[in-house]
Amino acid sequence: MAAKVLIVEDDSSILVPLTFLLEQNGYEVSTAADGEEALAAVARSAPDLVLLDIMMPRLDGYAVCQAIRENPEWGGIKIVLLSAKAGEMDVAKGMALGADAFISKPFANAEITATVQRLLTGPA
Amino acid sequence: MRIRNRFWWFVLLGVLTIIFIMGVLAWFFWLQLAPAERSLLLNILGHNFIYVFTVGVLLLAGLGFAADGVFHVYILPLSKLVEEVTLIATVNPSHRIAMQGSREVDRLVAIINESADRVEALQGRVEERIRLARAEAETEKNILAAFMADLPEGVLICNTDGRILFFNNRAREYLSHNRLSGASTPSGADPFMGLGRSIFTVIDKNLIVHALDEIAEKLNSGETSAAAYFVAVGEGDRLLQVEAVPVLNNRRDFNGFILICKDITAQLEVDSRVNALFKSLVQKVRGSLGGIRSAVEAMIAYPQMAAKHSERFKAIIHEEALRIGELLAESQEAYSRQVLTRWPLVHMPACDLMEAVGRKAETKLGLKLVIYGCEEDIWLRVDSYSIVLAVLFLLERLKTHLGLRDFNCCIERRGHFVCLDLRWIGKPVKLETLRQWEDEELSVAGEAIPLSLREVVGHHDAEIWSNASRRLKNTAYLRLFFPSCTSEAACNLRSITILPESRPEFYDFDLFNQPGQSPDLDDRPLTELTYTVFDTETTGLDPRGGDRIISIGAVRIVNLRLRQEDFFDQLVDPQRPLPPESVEIHGIQPEMLEGQPPIATVLPLFQRYTEETILVAHNAAFDMLMLQLAEAETGIRFINPVLDTLLISSVVHPSQGRHDMESISQRLGISVVGRHTALGDAIATAEIFLKLIPLLAKQGIYTLRDAREASQKSYYARIRY
Repeated sequence: MAAKVLIVEDDSSILVPLTFLLEQNGYEVSTAADGEEALAAVARSAPDLVLLDIMMPRLDGYAVCQAIRENPEWGGIKIVLLSAKAGEMDVAKGMALGADAFISKPFANAEITATVQRLLTGPA
Repeated sequence: MRIRNRFWWFVLLGVLTIIFIMGVLAWFFWLQLAPAERSLLLNILGHNFIYVFTVGVLLLAGLGFAADGVFHVYILPLSKLVEEVTLIATVNPSHRIAMQGSREVDRLVAIINESADRVEALQGRVEERIRLARAEAETEKNILAAFMADLPEGVLICNTDGRILFFNNRAREYLSHNRLSGASTPSGADPFMGLGRSIFTVIDKNLIVHALDEIAEKLNSGETSAAAYFVAVGEGDRLLQVEAVPVLNNRRDFNGFILICKDITAQLEVDSRVNALFKSLVQKVRGSLGGIRSAVEAMIAYPQMAAKHSERFKAIIHEEALRIGELLAESQEAYSRQVLTRWPLVHMPACDLMEAVGRKAETKLGLKLVIYGCEEDIWLRVDSYSIVLAVLFLLERLKTHLGLRDFNCCIERRGHFVCLDLRWIGKPVKLETLRQWEDEELSVAGEAIPLSLREVVGHHDAEIWSNASRRLKNTAYLRLFFPSCTSEAACNLRSITILPESRPEFYDFDLFNQPGQSPDLDDRPLTELTYTVFDTETTGLDPRGGDRIISIGAVRIVNLRLRQEDFFDQLVDPQRPLPPESVEIHGIQPEMLEGQPPIATVLPLFQRYTEETILVAHNAAFDMLMLQLAEAETGIRFINPVLDTLLISSVVHPSQGRHDMESISQRLGISVVGRHTALGDAIATAEIFLKLIPLLAKQGIYTLRDAREASQKSYYARIRY
């Protein structure tokens, strides 16, 4: 069964190609445009992995990440943070809040697919 | 006329008068006599001439001895008495008269000494009271002076003529130009920057004049702020941004100016590098975007193009997009490196910061904060007031939000960062809640600053988040994540300000009242002049026989104050052997002179040190001759006016036999230390000179001209080397 990936991103010029890319790689992709939508989507059907943009209106990526980590039922969900803010400080904060990986924009498509694949198939 | 001569003229006149009166009486007596009586009298006198003559001589001798006795017992003591009483009444109240004379003189001396005791005791009490009253004001002044001295900026205050009235250490560091380019420099001395010196020797006159013109224009047009700025080159080619601020008196007349210097060398470098970085970034991104745009537009315009073209265009777009990504990453890193170098925050140990927070949390919020994991070498760059307030603000929010009173604080280093974790037992705060807090202005228990938590945290380049601890069950934390202070240089601490015991000597605001030095120094009062008091040590006492200078020491007197900190002290290689008997006098061993600069190097420097001052020395003729003999070799001439404390002492105390430095010091109540080093003797001479100035004034000697003329007339001026 195909792994489920949720992409949370408010910029459609990134959302569209990402969706296309992951679908091409055989994942079952759903999307959300902001943090609240994302949490609702996770609550409806927990994905295996969330690609999470940090800079979003309303609830930002850090908060979504923390909310997911607070719920023990969602402990298995992998979280990959995406951000154009990519200082050491941001990475440290993301990882401290429970993300599994941090990818900075602009990213290579290959980096996304490799990271997703590693997290979904590698040792948990 | 000297007292002894004057007295004997007086005695001679007296004797002649007596002889004259007796002669007249004898003449009248002679006229009364009959011719027979006259011949009888002549007969008697002729036969007994030897007796009459002897009586006459004995009478005159008796008169002479009596006069001499009167002179020594009454006149001479009286004249000495005048000098000694003046001494007590002016410079040395502790001086007591020890003199033997007639009974009356002895009684007078006893009474004078007794009165002097009483006056001295009274004076002592008054002075003590004055001292106590001044102490408080002095402390405040010292705080100001110490604060000024340790300002990060260089500060100089000048009067209207550009004379330096004040400078702090930083100004000296920025502006004092290197003295000797060699191993040996006059230790600590700074010939080119000192009180009373001209600012124009360290900063180009044109720059200052221009700035002052600008200020004058602003003042004339009624502007309230009238500073002017310019950039000057300081010591070691550093660039100084100088702010000139006028000093006005209460009638708004120009009274001087303040110069505030900042070293902008580093900042300019950073600015220019950031500028260059930005320009190159823009250029390169424009280039790459140009490629992408043209490729994309071509593909849009010709959708049917051949596959090989479209593949090529896609490749271009891909490559250029990659390049822009790389450029941005590189630039971001380079920029943050540059910016960090000029971050204007203060460095402090994280422990100290959190201990301050802990104390305030307890007194202001009634919270208990236990600090652990505190290593002393964890440093932060912070604005301590706002960051303490920020942490207190968070603690207060946590207290109301969670209803807790106990928190732990854990300080930990992680790579380039430092975590300050506030921990508690319970649930973490939601990030949304934290975000609301971040938007609030900081205000805790009556203290507030008009900045939001977010602004304060951002200002520190820090991050803040809240989470549950992964390691400790039921524990949550709020983390302040700071860049740590790693660079050794950046961690340099400002030295602690220590209040000096007495008023620091390098400032004197009274100098504002001092008029500038005009070319005709001769008519200026002695009290207003600037002096270089100096002494030389030599290989021997025979300048013309080839003895040479081996040491020059000097201090300056500005505004009637001895400036011990502004000294010149330099050993000189005489380039000939040092006679052992001279070593016994000055204690300078031959090996101490090895590697010292020769006189040809030292004299130009000493001349700059003495520029525009009056030279003062004890027995100046000797030292001046030493300097003159070095003239042939160095081409340096000292044309400054010269005063000699030996001559002045003989002017002030003509009845005193001894005018060597020990005797004068003892007479004036000066305790001398460090004799027979050039600098020690220069300082002693300066102290003597300061005490001689008021004594000269007592004799109506006020100006430099008066002093020089009186010295010249003095008996000792006849001594020539």
